[in-house]
Formats: sequence, C-alpha cells, structure tokens
Amino acid sequence: MAITDLPTFVRADGPDKVTGSGRYTADMTLTGMLAAKFRYAGVSHARITKLDVSAAKAIPGVFAVITADDVPDVRYSYGIADRTLFAKGVVRYDGEVLAAVAAISPEVAQRAVDAIVVEYDELPIVTDLEAAVADDSPLVHDDLDGYAITGDTPHHGNVGTHSSIEMGDPDAAMAAAHTVVSSRFVADASHAVPIEPRAVIAQWEGDKVTIWTSTQVPFDARNGVCETLEMPTTKVRVIVPHVGGGFGGKCGPHYEPHIAALARAAKRPCKLVFSRWEEFTAPDRRREGMIVDVTTGLDAEGNIVARTGELLLDNGAYMADSSFFAQAAAMHVAGPYTIPNVRIDAQLVYTNHQPSGSVRAPTAPQGCWAVESHTDELAAAIGMDPLDFRRRNIVRTGDVGPTGQTYEEIGLDRCLDMAAESAGWGTTELPDDEAFGISIGWWPSFHMPAGAYMKMHADGKVQVITGANECGTGSVMTLRMLAADELGLDQTDVELVYQDTAAAPDGPGASGSMTLFNHGRAVEKAAKEIAGQLRELAATKLEASAADIVLADGAASVAGTPTKSVPIVELAEAAAEGELLLGSGSTDELEWPEIKGSSCLGEQGFSSFMAPQFICHVARVRLDKDTGVARVLEVHAVHDSGTILNPVAAHGQVEGGILMGIGQALTEGTQYDETGSQRNAALLEYKLQTIADAPEIHTQFVEIHTPNAGPKGAKGLAEAPNVPTAGAISNAIAALIGRPVRQLPMTAERVWSTIAEEVTA
Amino acid sequence: MSFAVATSLDDALAAMAAGARPIAGGTDLVVGSRQGKGALPDAIIAIDRLPELAAIEVGDDVTRIGAGVTHATLMTDATVVDQFSSIADAAALVGSPATRNVGTLGGNVMNGSPAMDTGAPLVVLGAEAELRSVDATRSVSLDELWTGPGSTSANADELCTALLIPNRPAASGSAYVRLEYRRAMEIAVVGAAAAVTLDGDTVSTVRVALTAVAPTILEVTGLDAVVGSTIDDAAVAAATAASEQATPISDLRASDAYRRHTIGVMARRAVDAAARRAMGETIAVPVNRALGVGAVA
Repeated sequence: MAITDLPTFVRADGPDKVTGSGRYTADMTLTGMLAAKFRYAGVSHARITKLDVSAAKAIPGVFAVITADDVPDVRYSYGIADRTLFAKGVVRYDGEVLAAVAAISPEVAQRAVDAIVVEYDELPIVTDLEAAVADDSPLVHDDLDGYAITGDTPHHGNVGTHSSIEMGDPDAAMAAAHTVVSSRFVADASHAVPIEPRAVIAQWEGDKVTIWTSTQVPFDARNGVCETLEMPTTKVRVIVPHVGGGFGGKCGPHYEPHIAALARAAKRPCKLVFSRWEEFTAPDRRREGMIVDVTTGLDAEGNIVARTGELLLDNGAYMADSSFFAQAAAMHVAGPYTIPNVRIDAQLVYTNHQPSGSVRAPTAPQGCWAVESHTDELAAAIGMDPLDFRRRNIVRTGDVGPTGQTYEEIGLDRCLDMAAESAGWGTTELPDDEAFGISIGWWPSFHMPAGAYMKMHADGKVQVITGANECGTGSVMTLRMLAADELGLDQTDVELVYQDTAAAPDGPGASGSMTLFNHGRAVEKAAKEIAGQLRELAATKLEASAADIVLADGAASVAGTPTKSVPIVELAEAAAEGELLLGSGSTDELEWPEIKGSSCLGEQGFSSFMAPQFICHVARVRLDKDTGVARVLEVHAVHDSGTILNPVAAHGQVEGGILMGIGQALTEGTQYDETGSQRNAALLEYKLQTIADAPEIHTQFVEIHTPNAGPKGAKGLAEAPNVPTAGAISNAIAALIGRPVRQLPMTAERVWSTIAEEVTA
Repeated sequence: MSFAVATSLDDALAAMAAGARPIAGGTDLVVGSRQGKGALPDAIIAIDRLPELAAIEVGDDVTRIGAGVTHATLMTDATVVDQFSSIADAAALVGSPATRNVGTLGGNVMNGSPAMDTGAPLVVLGAEAELRSVDATRSVSLDELWTGPGSTSANADELCTALLIPNRPAASGSAYVRLEYRRAMEIAVVGAAAAVTLDGDTVSTVRVALTAVAPTILEVTGLDAVVGSTIDDAAVAAATAASEQATPISDLRASDAYRRHTIGVMARRAVDAAARRAMGETIAVPVNRALGVGAVA
C-alpha cells in the first residue's frame, strides 16, 4: 500500500516539532537556573582512595558540589541492587558519576568539575566475556550476595543472571541426528543514539520537587527519585517535554535523582544537558555485546531435531534493567522453530564496560542475526533452499515452540510466504553482485498495568489524561483515535494530556512496545465509561433504550432510526450543568501463556510469549567485493502484529526499525580500547545509517485477530521491526561470498576479511 | 574573545595581520572546538561574505577558483563539472547538504587534513594555492603548502584567497573516488583522484593522488612508465603503485592492511573513470554514485 493511500491520521505534535515551536527539555530556562555537570570516574575499575571537592566548591560561581556522601545510602537496580547514585568506594566503568556540580554557567561548572581531586588504587579491568566467566577471573563486584537480589536471578562470580531453557533430550537427539552444524557468532555492543542527548531540570518548592526530563518512562524516572532520595511518590512530579527519540535508551531512571539532589543542595533550579560524548559513554543503556555458540541437529529430511547453545552477554558494570537479558537472548537463539529437544544456557556477565540496558528489542537483533545466519548454514549443509528450510521448520498455529508454549492463531507462515513473494524469491534474476537474504524473528507483547482518565467538556471536546509517552511511538495519534472511535467523534476532537506524573495514572510509558497494548486498553475503558454516560443522556432525550443508542459522526442516534438523533455536543453541554462526563480505566490482567514440558532456570518472564509478534524480512543486498562495502537495496518486511489500527504509524515503525537494523548490521558497533573505554563515542566514528542509505522498503501486515491481545486485537510493533533485518542482510552477504561474516556489525573490512579467508581456504 | 565580520578582503588581511584567525563555513573550526580538539582562537575574522573570494574566473591558461567558493557551488558549477570534474566529484561527497552549503574550498585546503576530499583532485590537476597578506601575494604548490596532518606552511597572517588550476588540455579528464561506509555525513576512509590525458587509445599523461593514506595528500610517483600504455594497464599500474606507496595507519575507520588494499582499488577506479571522461563519456558527478564505487549505488 502506498503511503498516499493510507487513511489520514493527525500527528498532533508534528507541527510543533517541524516548525520549531515545540519545546524540548534543553530549551527550557527557569529563573535562577544553574548549570549542572558531572565528574566521571575516567577509569574503568579502581578503588577510590581520595575524593576531594573542596577546591571545586571554592570556585566563585559554584553553588553546590555533591557526592555519595550527600545523598541517602541506597543501593538500587532491578534484579540485583548493585549500584548507588554516585560512586561509593569503587568505580566500575569509566562513565560512572563521582560528583555533580551546580554553577552559574556551564563553563564555571566545568572548571569546578576539573578541580575535583580524585585518587585511585587501580583494580584489574574485566572486559573479555570468556575470561570473565573463568574461575580465576577478577571480580567486578566482590560480593553479589551482599546486595538485595529479587526474582529468579541465579548468579555467581561475574555472572549476574544465568538462564537456561531445557526441553526433551538434546544430547540423545543430537547424537542421533543425520546432520549437525555448529556455529559461533560474536556481536559487538551498540547504542540507541537518540538524536536528542538527554537533559534534566529539577526545581524545588518546599519539600516538593518538579523534574523536567527527556525520559521515555516518566513513572520510572519518578520511582527512581523516590527510591534513591527516599521521598514519597506525592512529593515528586516528573514532566516530560517533547522527547527527541529514545529507542529504549531513555527507559528507566537516569539522572533525575542526581539533579534533584543537586538542586536541593544548590537551593536553585539546576539543568543538565548531555554532550554527545556523555550520551554515548555515561548512561546505563547500551546494546549488549554477545557471544553465541549454537549447534543444531537435523534429521535426514531437514527437520530440526535438536539445538544446544551457549551464550555470553556483556552486562557491563551494573544491572540496569538487564536481568531478563539472558533468558530473552536464549529465546531468540532458540527461535520461532519447532524444536523438540533444546538446551540453551545464557549467562549475563559483569564486565567493566558501560552497563547494558534495554535498547529496542533487547538481545533480539544480535540473537536473531546469529541464529538466522546459522539457519542458512543448516540449509546449505543439506543443500536446501533457505526459504524451504524455514517453511519446513517454523512454528505455525497450534504448534509447540521451543519452551513448550502452544501457539494460538499466529501468522509466521504467512509472513514467510508474503515476504518471499514480495521480493520475488527464486524468480527474480539478480546480477552477480546481488543476492537476497531471508530472516525470521519474533518478539513478545507485554502486559503491564496502565491507567487513563478522560473528560468531556461542555463544547464536546475530550481530554485523555494518559501515562503514555510520545517519542515516536505514535501515542499522539492512536490513543486519540481509540477514544474518538468509542465516542463517535473525530480524532481532532480529542487531545492528550500526557507526560506528567502528577496528572496521569501510572503506566509503562514508551517502553516494551506497550503504548497501544496497555495504555490503549486503558484509554478504551475510560472512553467506554463516558460513552455509557452519553448513551444514558441520549436515551432520556430520545426516549429510547440506552442499549439502542449509537455514537457516530458526532451524534447519538437510535439504532435503525437515524432521524432520532442528538448532537453529542448538546449532550456535553447539558452534562456540564449537571453530572460531569468523566471516565477512567485500568488495564485488565491478561493471561500469561503456559508452558509445558520444559524447565526454565532464571525465569524472568521471557519463557513464554504473550500475543507473540512474528516477522519475516527479505533483504536484497549489493556487494562491492573489491572493498567489502555492502548496500541494502530493498527490504521486504511482513509483520504479524495483530490488527493494525494506525497504518501511518505502523509503516513508520517498520521503516525506522529496518533502518536501525541496517545500521546494526553494517556500520554501528561500539569499539573499546584495552582499558574498557569507548573509542568511537562520536557520530562521525559511530556510523548511523543516513536517509541517503535507506533502501526501498516494502511493508505488509498479516492481520490476524489475536486473542489475549491489545485493543481490537492489536499487538505491539515498536521493537519487532528491529529484530530480523541484520539476519536477512547477513544471509544475503553469505550468499554472495560463500560463508557468513561472523562478527556484528558486518563492516566492509570484516566482509573483505571474510572473502580473503575464503580465498585462502 | 572577539568576532568580527570582514567588510573587504583588505579588512580581513588587516585583521589577520593583527592576529585574528579566519572563519568561513566553520565546519572544521567550530566542530573541532566543540569536540575538544582545540579552543577557538581569541580573535576571529569572518570572511564568508567577501565577494572577492567567491568567484570562479576562467583565464587563458589558468582558472582561478576563489577560496570562499562553497562545495555546493563546486559540485554544480558548469566549469568545474566539465573541466575539473574530480573537484566536483569530491565536493559532492563532503558531509551533508548543510556542510556543503557553508564549507569552502579554501577551508578544506587550509585545514590540511590528509582526509580532505578536494586535496587529491587539486594535486592531480596541478593546482597552486594563492596566499595573500597585507604586504604580499604569492602562489605555492600544494606539495609545499601541506607540511603534515593539520599543518601548512602558510604564515599566520596569510589568507588563502584562491586555488589556481591550469586549464585542461583536450582529451583529458579527471575523477575522484573514495571508499565510504555510508552515503552521507561521511569522511574518506581512503580516496584517490586521477587526471588522465589520452592520445587515441593510449595514455599520454596520468597523475594520481591519494587521500587518507599518508600524513598529507600523497601523489603517486613513477607513473611516467605507463605513458603509451592502454587505459586498463595504466589503471592496474596506478593501483599497484598506490598500494605500494601508501603509508596508511590503523585507526577506528580501518586497519592499515585494509587501507593499503582499498587504496589500490580506488586508484584503479579513479584512473578508469578519468580516462572514460577523457574519451568524452559523460559520467555524472559524483562518480562514486554514477559508477557504484565505494558504497555501491
């Protein structure tokens, strides 16, 4: 479908953003506001022997310098509470915050930062994943058991969480297999790279603090402040101006507590604005590096009979929200295939790198790239076409997946067929320097509680008060549409009040593809409440039964008797003088799918997929074999994300996810030096794809009404498009050079080196 | 710190004599300062609005391209595209539309980066830099001008006012190709320019210069031997010589071995494209896109 054929949706924040009238956090100024800057550790692992801020405090224009001594002694994080706001005793990565400075200008603040004296005893730096899990490895954290640990979080040594999936008897099945292929793939770390570096402003009035911040999840930010500064929820208000992208990088609390504490100490509002270098190096959000060893056994017909895998994931220095990563990665290496015998062990390993955290579909692009490249090696080993091999082995409706989940109505088979047909797989004649590559993937939908309030005013206009957050997720369009649909109004009659924790009910914000899935369900419920009130009012006025009232096109009418009708605005006017039209809604709990016949150690909520989304991407790639430079010419993307409510936003998510996937496939990789510091923390050297690199993208949706899903059968869609693109590109390159490139990103030089190995071999 | 806008070339030269540093597009100076490469100069004189620096004048023997001519102009100006195609190829690859609209030829040359895109084309075209101070005007060869990464032999009070390029003989062409990992906002990993003059089917002159494989733009030597040979032979010889003579480093962008290999590929493609232009074939600017080299089209 061409974009011009799509129904019109109003992106409510669009005009503000494109004309420049919209305000982002960094654009704001408050009276008396000071500039905040951080002093970072600068070393990757060391014991602090001296931290002296007296010289910094003495600089004229400096209002406050705070360290761990100036905030409550709270250790926090998900899974393992391993961290403090400011480094305490030991620093474990070079971007760890030692101190914060508030000063009259950024220049004075920087002088004060430079005047802070810190001395260290160096500790051994842990950066190599395989060395880190050896028994004799130095430890990043001496005593994990000294921390508060929650959930099923098996840990030992440098292993933060260990997760295993086991089903059937993989050893026996592997021994009996007709063909066995083992592969090893290594993914470098990468970054979310939102175009807006983060910014935080905090202002106190009495014992209350208001924080403006560029977060994706305002309630995470608020809860982080409450937890670390030991404040009640009612005293902390988080407001989010426009957000310039997040891609997961702005989930979770980040520097809101630091700036709140700093502003309290300085007795003035304080503003932190990150440089690009800080945005790359400091936050606990980095896509984790990963080593995947996977072995698969096939029977004589090409059916997968067994799969085993060993995964190591680079957690970095602290748990951000990463405790589920090991299990999530294991699921992606298992893949959406029918495999009766499975054992995958995954370990999330502490290192002295920047912490890893959720970046768009955490663990999936790397895990999928590895296992889909491996899948083409399996197909090649038995001389089968990669499309046919997948058709033979994928999960279909009613099948049992690799952890024993039985899938209800799913559309992976149709994704595969439609993507192949769209690309012309097997029928399109390609030049010698071009090839297709195919990859499939999956991603769950998540239930989390979310709420919504709603009010209809005397003029018939509606405000939806929601905890949803707009960072490109489309909530400004789709939530309005859901409300308008229930109320028989036009989307333009509905406005969102959002990104303010004091106003809206709690919710997951823009995380985990959950905006529509959870906030949408809450909005639907709130709208149904007002719709019910309107029907009652109309029923009285039209002398009909409320059950017979239809709300459509701005009017309440009696079903079957369209002449008996009253404009909704008239009902709203009347209600404004009587009982006000107010609604509220909260998500109903959804049933988590059960699993049978498997054991899952380190259960972190990823062993079964609620309302699973399925994807197939086919990439057409041209390769300059003389240099190894690959260019993606076309991507044919077919997604099962359930019902598509907003095609404009859905196409946008797929196209953006694919472009991010191309970057991760070819050019986006974080490079480290031997001390654990990033070498390419800048946009010239960390190479995002540009719009000039964008391929033709042909997107289709398999729309299946999914039970146990979001509004009108919708699943999530923000993360899934990022999952299989690198795998498809990998398989196209492998088709051109005879073997896969075993390290991600598959840079031109790595492609060239792989060609050279082939020649040598 | 002071910032002044020059109202005339004399004004700018006087400010420089008093210690000011010039700014035109600021695409190196400002970005470098923000990235911590060096503080901004104490005194800055803006030269971006001087018409004296913005002209392209075709003389009998020499074409004079003002130092203030932007990349956006270089990639579209008919004289540059037709006669000095390699400069247009290079200018079209610089940064983004925003960079090309403010970045200038003089700025690129005087920044002295071995990764500058317009440097190798200027070398193979035999260009000289015109340097002016309050007291004097002189022309220096580029070989003499560039003394190392980011350094030139120009005196602190000298402003580059133009690049002087000998007009091309008949049956000649030039081209610049570079290795790039993406198609915008990119910097040369390696690059090569070639200028070729043909005598029928054989090569009568060929010059090749290399980007980002040595401390300064490197002209390939010893190509006299290919005079009289076929285009294909000349291209292969240029590739071999380029790989041999390059002294690349390993850095974030590539290893030395990969650079040494790909500089040969770029040199071969540059000679081939230049020769095809010399034969009268129209290859659109930039040749990277037209021929699918580097990031394949």
